[in-house]
Amino acid sequence: MTLPVVGLRLALLALCLALWEVAGRTMNPLLGVPPSAVVPALRDLLLLRSYPDLLSSLALTVREIATAYALAVAAGLGCGFMLGMHRLVGRAWGPMLAALYAVPAVVWYPSLMLFFGLDAASKIAFGFLLGFFPIALAVLAGIRQVNPQLVVVARAYGAGTVTVFRRVMLPAMLFTLVGGLRTGLALCVIGVIVGEILGSKAGMGALINHAYGLLRTGDYVALVLVTLTLVVGSDVLASLLEHRARRWTE
Amino acid sequence: MSARPALIVIEGVTKRYLSSSGPVEALHDVSLAVEEGAFCTLIGPSGCGKSTLLGMLGGLVTPDQGRLLVDGRPVTGPDPRRVATVFQDAGLFPWRTALQNVEFGLELQGVPAERRRRTAADLLGPLGLSGFAEKYPRELSGGMKQRVAIGRALALDAKILLMDEPFGALDEQTRVLMGEWLLDIWRRTRKTVIFVTHSLHEALFLSTRVAVMTARPGRIKAALDLTMEYPRSMESSEMVALRAKLWSEIREESLRAMR
Repeated sequence: MTLPVVGLRLALLALCLALWEVAGRTMNPLLGVPPSAVVPALRDLLLLRSYPDLLSSLALTVREIATAYALAVAAGLGCGFMLGMHRLVGRAWGPMLAALYAVPAVVWYPSLMLFFGLDAASKIAFGFLLGFFPIALAVLAGIRQVNPQLVVVARAYGAGTVTVFRRVMLPAMLFTLVGGLRTGLALCVIGVIVGEILGSKAGMGALINHAYGLLRTGDYVALVLVTLTLVVGSDVLASLLEHRARRWTE
Repeated sequence: MSARPALIVIEGVTKRYLSSSGPVEALHDVSLAVEEGAFCTLIGPSGCGKSTLLGMLGGLVTPDQGRLLVDGRPVTGPDPRRVATVFQDAGLFPWRTALQNVEFGLELQGVPAERRRRTAADLLGPLGLSGFAEKYPRELSGGMKQRVAIGRALALDAKILLMDEPFGALDEQTRVLMGEWLLDIWRRTRKTVIFVTHSLHEALFLSTRVAVMTARPGRIKAALDLTMEYPRSMESSEMVALRAKLWSEIREESLRAMR
């Protein structure tokens, strides 16, 4: 990154913080929290003073996200390839999948809580539900992107089904596929956290709910910041995965 | 006809396709023999099944009737050790560099990385691509792409080179130059080439043999042996006469195809 880019970024950040500080100070202190008030709240949070169960909550949320994502990847890839490789099945069920994706997923959440209870299972199910579709649809779109002529070329040069898949289809659909996997992860994270906020007894969402409900706004903002770090961290992880995948195909 | 045994034998090959308007006969009872070292051109109107015939030789299409022999053995599937194909629009893998594209066939054959890299690198020189080894297809011109595709086929070191309108997408000037270049490669490598084209010029300039195909269903209408020395002048009286003869054969079929 060049110096001007970094400089401009920091400048925008500083401007936002300054505006936030000014706005926070003029508001009712119960509602407005300037950055200067967040710093001590964040310190208390990280030193486990305000929420001693921070680490276990964080661990639970991460576990839920990991489980939801693993399930979403497995099911998304499985479904996507099944629909993409079989023309008839894809023609029959592909549009149904796309239609289902268009439904705002939150409408399913109450029934997920009924089925899976208030504990981790309903959050995992909701994260899965959000993460599954972009992955499955990315596989479908990726398969459509493969130039059939390249498959013919590979076959003429002696490639069997597995080689065609590995040497032609995967590299041809890689960008779309990895994009889907990244979107899927982001949505899994959102799903789990939204699930926790909508109703749970533990996890980061529950802590956020608690702080917010008691109007402990400083703690609330600190918790949001920690959660934000988690989200950004997961995206960094996903971009590492992307680089790995790109190297693997070359 | 020479006494040498034919390297490629096509016997009574028929192929039908199912189209939305019912079965279509693409090839009807096609027979052709090509001897080793020949440059045989298939020429004919669009949709006469030239590419289908080439696909069969490459093992990508199976005939409904008849048989195809390469080197005395029936074709049962793609056999890149004996038959290498160059496709109409290069068909390069966009995520591979020029060098990696040339290496592709050897990679599938399990040739060790260092050896196949050397083979491919050695090919780039005569292909006129010395400085372009690390370029990706999107960075190459149409003619260069097609030369990479030809390099990919030559790297297999197969006896037979199948070329499906390899210069069809190029502009006229590039086409002529690529033809001269291909002739040079062919005479140096002594490959047997089956070359599909629409171009009379290419057929006359390059081939030792020209097979004219009929409009659908494709049959071999006439096969001419061309014995003139290379490089050929298109202005010689012999060439002018041949061109007229070939044109009258093709013209009739092209008119039928348009109907």
